[in-house]
Amino acid sequence: MNPAEKVSESPMTEPQREPRAEPASSPRPTIAVAEGQAKATRGRTHRDVGTVRLEGLHAYYGSNHAVRGVDLVFDPNEVTAIIGPSGCGKSTMVRCINRMHEEIPSARAEGKVVLDQIDLYNSAIDVVAVRRSIGMVFQKPNPFPTMSIVDNVTAGLRLTGAPRSEMKERAQDALQSAGLWDEVKDRLNNAGDGLSGGQQQRLCIARALAVDPEVLLMDEPCSALDPVGTLRIEELISQLRERVTIVIVTHNMQQAARVADTTAFMLNGEMVEVGQTEKMFTNPDDDRTEQYVTGKFG
Amino acid sequence: MSATPPTHPLFAARGNLRRRRRVNRVVEISSTVAALLAVAVLLIVVFSVFRKGVGALNLGFFTKSTPLFGASGGGIANAIVGTGIMVGLATLMAVPIGLLVAIYTSEFAEQRVAHVVRFALDILNGVPTIITGIFVVGLIVIPQGHGSGTAGAVALAIIMLPIVARTAQEVLALVPETLKEAAYALGVTRWRTTLRVTLPTAAGGLLTGSLLAIARVAGETAPLILTSFLFAPGVITDPSQGLASIPLFIFQSSESPSPESHTQAWAAALVLIAFVLVLNVIARAFYARSRQRLEG
Amino acid sequence: MHEKTRVQYREDLANLEQRGLEGLDMVVTVLDRTLEATQHADIELAELVIADDDRLDGRYLEVHQELITMLATQSPVATDLRLISALLHVMHGIERMGDQCVNIAKLIPITGNEPPADEEMQKRISMMGKQCRALINQAKRAFADRDLEMARDLVRQDDVVDNLNRECFRIAIEIGDDPDRREWAMTMLLAARSLERIGDNAVDIGEQVAYVVTGLFREFEDASHPGEVATVEAQP
Repeated sequence: MNPAEKVSESPMTEPQREPRAEPASSPRPTIAVAEGQAKATRGRTHRDVGTVRLEGLHAYYGSNHAVRGVDLVFDPNEVTAIIGPSGCGKSTMVRCINRMHEEIPSARAEGKVVLDQIDLYNSAIDVVAVRRSIGMVFQKPNPFPTMSIVDNVTAGLRLTGAPRSEMKERAQDALQSAGLWDEVKDRLNNAGDGLSGGQQQRLCIARALAVDPEVLLMDEPCSALDPVGTLRIEELISQLRERVTIVIVTHNMQQAARVADTTAFMLNGEMVEVGQTEKMFTNPDDDRTEQYVTGKFG
Repeated sequence: MSATPPTHPLFAARGNLRRRRRVNRVVEISSTVAALLAVAVLLIVVFSVFRKGVGALNLGFFTKSTPLFGASGGGIANAIVGTGIMVGLATLMAVPIGLLVAIYTSEFAEQRVAHVVRFALDILNGVPTIITGIFVVGLIVIPQGHGSGTAGAVALAIIMLPIVARTAQEVLALVPETLKEAAYALGVTRWRTTLRVTLPTAAGGLLTGSLLAIARVAGETAPLILTSFLFAPGVITDPSQGLASIPLFIFQSSESPSPESHTQAWAAALVLIAFVLVLNVIARAFYARSRQRLEG
Repeated sequence: MHEKTRVQYREDLANLEQRGLEGLDMVVTVLDRTLEATQHADIELAELVIADDDRLDGRYLEVHQELITMLATQSPVATDLRLISALLHVMHGIERMGDQCVNIAKLIPITGNEPPADEEMQKRISMMGKQCRALINQAKRAFADRDLEMARDLVRQDDVVDNLNRECFRIAIEIGDDPDRREWAMTMLLAARSLERIGDNAVDIGEQVAYVVTGLFREFEDASHPGEVATVEAQP
């Protein structure tokens, strides 16, 4: 049994959010993103929420010290990529953010993960509510096979007791944000697994977006996709930053270079260097970063 | 060929090739024969039961009850009803419990505990059914003072339980961890995930397990001999009394001296086989569909 | 660090750098010939220099093409990327230096077989030539060794060339009224100017060294910032 999990139907404590416009009424971002949008304005939207701060984060699997004292900030509405060789702890670290690592019996974490002003590891926090504020997309697309496309998208809402009246609208909104609406709008009631790999992954993204999280974690989301599917998801990530803060784990450095504003390099459980993506790939400070991005090890 | 064969390694030495082909043929033929033999056995059994019993199949066979003291005429109406009630009750008892056991071992229990439970179920599966029968006799029949359909149902349920639980465990284990992860990551609670994601995904396989268990106990004779062997004439639906059953009918009819009874025994056997075959086919169909869904 | 990866790529890059820098050796050879042709008014040697420029252009195109291919196929980043960018600049500089030598060689038939009109100017041209030769060799060493100090020193060495150029200019102004002498002096001024350009090209190579090492591109000293040497932080 999982001692850290507080199972409850309606969350007793929920991370405080600024009140924001109801999804039905607020205009959703259009697909085209202005090229020359200044960095200064991009990080500051009308809702300044979705900042995640890791403070002294440690994670263990039994006696294996997988994440060693990580301090990191994810700025709102930015894309941060986590790179590093296999086994460096990047997936583990990201799973600590939405407390998914707790699903593994021998896992435990120490330190703080602060979403806006709330420490998610506080003992009064409802872990189920955390996961509604911080969504996750996995490496292999995993739509629910027994549900239709629209049911898949609304699964997060239906299975957590959201009001039925908004379902259709929120589903459409989520599918549009995921760039999948046009392709499936005529077959919303078809099986969820009758789509191509790239479409399935976009369906999973829509499913995660439907519960309206502040942060979206993506664990190597393009690993199982072909090059075209990968590029579509990357474009999507670029557009989604207006809506959520994105953290993407990737072992593909070119991908990190293409999509991320900030890149963080991890090695052996430690955060070696964090910086603007351009700098990390043209002139990194740390020699280990230099060695890794030029492929001298990995 | 008059010229010497080429010595390049890609060219096979002729003798070698012929020997390999011969060995291949031999293995191929013997395994085909074995497969045919296995299928043949089934066909022979079904065919001979059919031949010997088809003569007694008529409307009356299905609508009349067994007469007393081996009198002629009559049918298996009461036996069908009795089997139906006892198997039905057993299913109602065994399937929910078996499912819950499977859910416990695959979702909530620690590795070691789950291992012990699985082991216990396997042993239970191997317990000779006559022993189960005696156990139920001690548990229910003796305190009650008489046999009953309920006692028979309990015995059948005990036999069904490990089958349902084990197949359910296998199918639940096939549900990919990633599906459950997806649900947890959406903020869905553990039990809700099990109920609305894991179980529906495994539904086909769970149904299969239940159907196979039913097919298995429909023909169990030993426990019924001990628990529900005395019954009143005519169709009875009250499980607190002794109920007739098809396997018992076959047993008793084949003991009686009259050839007509023998034919009726064969006919009842035919009915039973048909029932088991149909259930198996349906169960396999569900399993195939369920696997297809799980494996994408 | 751990296992060896991309061994072939690193070897290829190192070889490419070497082939690129060999171009500087080729330039030195060309420069030597040019200077000799100038000293002895050797028209045939001058023609050889002009014809031989194709070889230098060939080397430039070859290395340039391979650098582009490496960009396309190997996705270099960080130091590798800066190195390739620097090499592209260096190759361009090599090609320019070769062209400057050709310009000088082309002047020789003009000055003809007549004896030099002014010993002083001739001497200075010769000194400029030698100094340029030294500059090119120093630039090559600085690049190959990633020696930031040596690269910055190129500015000082180039100042010598610039001063000699100014002296030539002064001599030319004061050469007098003889039209033949004046014609010779103007022509030699052009040669001096070409040598001065070669010196600047060598300093540019030094700036590329700084870029590779520090990741920052700063002009060491140029016409708009005379006497200023930018402070660049050296990398460990």
